[in-house]
Amino acid sequence: MKKRSVYWVWEFLKGTKAAFLIGIASTLITALTGMLSPQIIRLSVDQIILGEPTDDVGINSFLESFGGAAYLKENLWIPALILLAVAAVAFLTNYLYRVSNTYGAETLTKNMREKLFDRVSHLPFSWHMKNHTGDIIQRSTSDVETVKNFVSEQLTGIFRIIIMVVMSLSFMFSMNWKMALIAASCMPLILIYSLVFHKKIKTAFTECDESEGKLSAMAQENLTGVRVVRAFGREGYEKDKFVKYDRFYTGLWTKLAKIMARFWASNDIITGLEILIVMVSGAVFTVNGELSVGEYIAFISYNEMLLWPIRMLGRMLSEMSKAGVSLNRIVYIMDSEPERDKEGAGECDMTGDIAFEHVNFAYENCPELLHDVSFRVKAGTTVGIMGGTGSGKSTLMLLLDKVYDLEDPDSKITVGGVDIRDVRTEYLRSNIGIVLQEPYLFSRTLAENIGIKREGTTLEEIREAAKAAALDETIESFTDGYDTFVGERGVTLSGGQKQRTAIARALTGNTPVLIFDDSLSAVDTETDAKIRRSLEKKFGTATVFLISHRITTLKKADLILVLDHGTIKESGTHEELVAQGGIYAEVYRAQTDGVDEL
Amino acid sequence: MIFCGLMGSMVDIFLPVYQRYAFDHFVGLGTLDTLPYYIAAFVATVAFSAVANYIAMSSAFRTEVEINRDLRDSVFSHLQTLGFSYYNGNSVGYIHSRVMSDTSKIGSLVSWSLMDGVWHLTYLLGAVVVMLVVNARLALLVLTIAPLIVLMFSIFQGKLIRSNREVREMNSIITSDFNEGITGAKTVKTLVIEDKMQRTLQEHTVKIRKKALRVAHLRGLFSSTINIGSSIALAIVLWQGGYIAEDEVGTFSLFMSYAQGIIEPMRWIIDAVSDLITCQVNIERVDKILHTEPDVVDTPEVVAKYGTVFEPKTENFEPMIGDIEIKDVTFTYPDGHEPVLEHFSLKIPFGTNVAIVGETGAGKSTLVNLICRFYDVNEGAILIDGKDVRERSQNWLHSNVGYVLQTPHLFSGSVRENLLYGNPNATDEEINRALALVSADEVVNKLERGLDSDVGEGGDLLSTGEKQLISFARAILCDPKLLILDEATASVDTLTEAKIQSAIDQVIQGRTSIVIAHRLSTVKNADCILVVKNGKIVERGTHKELLDNNGYYRALYTRQYEDEKTKALLG
Repeated sequence: MKKRSVYWVWEFLKGTKAAFLIGIASTLITALTGMLSPQIIRLSVDQIILGEPTDDVGINSFLESFGGAAYLKENLWIPALILLAVAAVAFLTNYLYRVSNTYGAETLTKNMREKLFDRVSHLPFSWHMKNHTGDIIQRSTSDVETVKNFVSEQLTGIFRIIIMVVMSLSFMFSMNWKMALIAASCMPLILIYSLVFHKKIKTAFTECDESEGKLSAMAQENLTGVRVVRAFGREGYEKDKFVKYDRFYTGLWTKLAKIMARFWASNDIITGLEILIVMVSGAVFTVNGELSVGEYIAFISYNEMLLWPIRMLGRMLSEMSKAGVSLNRIVYIMDSEPERDKEGAGECDMTGDIAFEHVNFAYENCPELLHDVSFRVKAGTTVGIMGGTGSGKSTLMLLLDKVYDLEDPDSKITVGGVDIRDVRTEYLRSNIGIVLQEPYLFSRTLAENIGIKREGTTLEEIREAAKAAALDETIESFTDGYDTFVGERGVTLSGGQKQRTAIARALTGNTPVLIFDDSLSAVDTETDAKIRRSLEKKFGTATVFLISHRITTLKKADLILVLDHGTIKESGTHEELVAQGGIYAEVYRAQTDGVDEL
Repeated sequence: MIFCGLMGSMVDIFLPVYQRYAFDHFVGLGTLDTLPYYIAAFVATVAFSAVANYIAMSSAFRTEVEINRDLRDSVFSHLQTLGFSYYNGNSVGYIHSRVMSDTSKIGSLVSWSLMDGVWHLTYLLGAVVVMLVVNARLALLVLTIAPLIVLMFSIFQGKLIRSNREVREMNSIITSDFNEGITGAKTVKTLVIEDKMQRTLQEHTVKIRKKALRVAHLRGLFSSTINIGSSIALAIVLWQGGYIAEDEVGTFSLFMSYAQGIIEPMRWIIDAVSDLITCQVNIERVDKILHTEPDVVDTPEVVAKYGTVFEPKTENFEPMIGDIEIKDVTFTYPDGHEPVLEHFSLKIPFGTNVAIVGETGAGKSTLVNLICRFYDVNEGAILIDGKDVRERSQNWLHSNVGYVLQTPHLFSGSVRENLLYGNPNATDEEINRALALVSADEVVNKLERGLDSDVGEGGDLLSTGEKQLISFARAILCDPKLLILDEATASVDTLTEAKIQSAIDQVIQGRTSIVIAHRLSTVKNADCILVVKNGKIVERGTHKELLDNNGYYRALYTRQYEDEKTKALLG
C-alpha cells in the first residue's frame, strides 16, 4: 500500500474508531466465553461428576464457593446455570459486536462515499474529460462496496480468528503440551492448503468473470441493436451466437466447480484426518493417564474451534488483496487535484463589461482551437455568436464560466475589469446562467429541476420561467404537471422539451449574465419564435450571449461575431455585417430569399 | 446428487459416534487393542464422505450452471421474437438484467437450496435418530429447544428479508446519485449546485446507515439466539445427563456434540425457505418475459411453409420483386390513443423512390414499421408483390429487405463479420464491390488489419461517419429489392457528408426504396414525397407539386434549405 492510501484510510476511519474498538473488544469477549464453555464442562466431568481430586487451588476454592464437588454433583443445575450465564454474556457481546461493527463499517462507507462525491464534483472538468465516466462510477460504487464488504465481514474477523487461535492454543498448551503440539502442527498445513487453493480459484474466477462480461456484452449489443437484428432477419444467428457464448461460459463455471468440489473434498479428508490424529493421540494419552477425561473432551472442542478459523483465514487473506486493489482505485480519485481558486480571489462587478483579450486555447493534446480572440461586450447588451461546427463557440463560453481554465498567460477574460482568474469560481458561476448545448436533467420532478439553482424558489417563479421557455403548457399536459418525475423512473422528454426545461432552469437564477449555447436546435419553428419573443422581454438588464446559426435569433443582438476556425472573422451589428458582404451577409441571404432561388 | 448429499452428511453424523467409542472403549476400558480397526474405520468413513461430498458438490454445481444456461438461452431466444412495443416499453438495462441476473439467481437457489436442504435435513434426522437410540429421555429433552428456535427464526427471517431489501434499494439510489453527479458534472458545475448534490447524497448515506444498522440489529439478535440455543441444549445435557458421564463418558460427549450440532442445520433449513421467498420475484420476472406474447405472429400455415425465425425453410422462400402496395390501411400504435393512419393507400411499384419528411419526433417511421411488419395493421393490408405480408413469414420479409438505421449499429467483431451480417455467404469480391460502391473502401483500407480489424463494442472504434458507410455496405451486400433508409441527422464533417450523400444516391439505384429523409437532395429527387406532421401524413406528391402547393412542406423545406446552406457557408 502506498503512503497516500494510509493517509486516506485514516481519513475515512474518522468517527469509526470507537465503534471498531467496541466491536473488537466484544468479539474478544465472545471468543473468550466460547473458550470458557469447554472448561466448565471439563470441570463438571472431571471434578464434579467423576470426583477426581485436583491440586489446583483456584479450582478447589471455586468449587468450595458453590458448596463443594459432592454437593454440586447432586445439584448439576448449578454448573448448567453457570454455563447459561456465560452464554448470556456471549449473547450480549455477540449482539454488541454485530451492531458496533456494522456501525463502524457503515460509517466508514459513508465517509468514503461523501468524500468521494465531494471530490468528484470539485475536480476540474478537464479531469472528467480525461477519465471514462463508467470507470469513475465503478470506482465510486463497486469499489467502495468491495472495501466495505471486506471491512464489515473480514477485518474484525481477522482479529477474532487470531484471538481464537491464540486462546485455543494457550488453553490446549496449559492442559497438555504434547497434545497441543500435535494439534498445532497440523494447522500450518491446513492454512497453506487453503491459501494455495484461494490463489488458484482466483484466476479461475477471473476467467469466469471475463467470460460472463463477454456474454453480457453480447446480450447488451443484441438488445440495443434489436432493430438491426430484426431488419436483417438474423434472430436465429443471434440465438446461436448467444448459446455458443453461453456454452463456453458454462464450461468455465463447470471447471471452476470441479476445482471447488475437489478442494472441499480434500479439505474434508485433511480435517477428518486431523480430528482422527487428535482423537487417537488423546485416547492414547488418556489411557496412559497423561490426560484426564475432562481434558480429553475439552481438547476435542478446542481442536474444532481451531479448525474453522484456520480455514477461514485462507479466504480472508485472498479477499484482502482484492480490497487492497479497490482501495487503490478509490485513492486515485481522492488524490486528484481539485479545482482551487487563486489565493486572494474575490468578487467582481458581474453587471460590468465583459472582455475577451487575446484568448488562445487548446484542449490537452489537441491542436489550438481558439486563436487571438478579442472582443468587448458592454454591460446589459446582447452578443450573438455564429460559427461552424468545431469553430470554438462553445469553448469560448465555457472559458468565461471557468469550466475550462485559460492556460496561456497572455490570454485574459475580464468581467467588470477584473481578470476572472482573480474571481472566486463559485461566485462567478452562480452569477452566470448557462444553457448548455446538450442539457442534462436530474432525476427529480420538473419543478425541482427548474428551480434547482436556488434554494426556496417558489412555484410562482418556476412557472414564470417555464412560461418564458414556452414549456408551461407542455408541463400542464402531463398527468402530474410540475411534479412529473424526469428520467429513468419517470417520463422521457423529447430533445426540444429538455432544451426548454434547461432554458427555464437558467432563467430562474435571475443572473446578470446569461448564455444560450445553441439552445433551440431541437425546438420546432413555431415554438422557436415564441420563445425568442418571450426571452427578449425576460433579458432586461442582463448581459446575454446567444450562440446560434439562425439569423432570426441573432438579428437583434447589439454585437454579432462570426467565428471561423478559432478566430473572429467578422463583427458588428446585423446591418453592418449585411453591408460588409462577408459570410454573415451570405448566410443572411440564404436564410431570407431561401427557396425562391431554386 | 441428492443421494451423495445424503451420504456426505454421514461423517458429520457419525463423528460423535466415533468420539463416544473413543471415550467408552479406549478411555473407559483403558485399552488400546482395537485402535488399528478404529483408525481404519474412521479413515474409511472420512474417505467415503469426501467422495460423496465431491460428487454431491459437483453435481449441485452442474445443476446450477445448467439450469442457469437453459433459462438464459430460452429467455434470450424468446426476446428475439418479441415486438418493438416490448422494447419501447422496457429499457435495455431492465431487459438485460432479466436475461443475466434473474436467471442466475434461480439456478443457484434451486440447486444449492436443494443440496443444502438434503444435507442438513439428513444430518438433523440422523442426529435425532442416534440420540433417541442412545438415550431417548435425554434426546427428547434436548429436542425441546427445536420448536423454540424454529419459531424465533421465522419471526426474524421475515423482518430480515424486508430490511435487506430496503438496504438494497437505498444502495441503488446512492449509485444513481453518483451516476448523476458524474455524468452531469458539467451541468452541476455551471449551476453551482455541488453543495446541493452533496446534501442529497448525505441524506441517502445517513439513511442507508440507519437501515444497515437495523439489519445488523436483527442479524445480531438472530445469531445470538442461535448461539444461546446451543448453550441451552448443552446446559440441559449437563444438568439432566451429567450423571451418565460417571459410567458412560462417551454417551455424554456424544450428546454434547449433537446438542451443538443440530442448531446449524435448523438455521440452514429456515434460510433455504427464506431464499425461496426472496427468489420468487426473480422467478416471476423471468416467467413474465417468457409469457409475453409477440405483437406480430406468423400464422401456423405460414410457419408450416416458411419455418420459424430460428429454423427458416429458406428453400420455400420466393424471390422478392419489389412492388409494394399499401391498401386502405388504418393503424394505431398499441400504446397510442388515436390512429396515425386512416384508410391510407399508396402504390409503390418496383424502382420507385419514396421520401418521408417531417420534423423530429413527428412519427416518420410508422410506414416503415408497417412495411417491415414490425407492427401489424389494424385494417386494410400491405401487399408485397401482390401478396399480403401476413401470408409470408417475417423472416422471409426481413431477409429480403435492406435496412439502414439512422444511428448505425455495428456489433463487436471484425469489419468483415459486420458486413456479412445480412448475407453470410458473400465473397470477398462482393464485399469489396459493395464497399467501393459506397466509397467505404477507403475507410477499410485505412484500418490496420483491413477487413479483419476489430470495430469495438457497438463499433465504437470507428467514427459515426465511418459506421454509417459500413452500414450502407452491409445493407447492399444483401442486394435487397426493397431498401429502407433512415438518414442520419448527426453532424459529420463535410467530406464524410459528401461521401454519405453519394453513397445514398448509389444504393437506391435499381431498387424500391423508402427513405426517411433529412437531406434536401434526397428529398428533391424522390418520386414521391410523404409529409408527416404530428404522426399523420398531411401532404403527398412530388417536390414540385408540394412546393407549388405552398403548404407545410414548403415551410419545412425552407428551413431545411436555410440550415444546409448556412452550414455549408460556415464550414
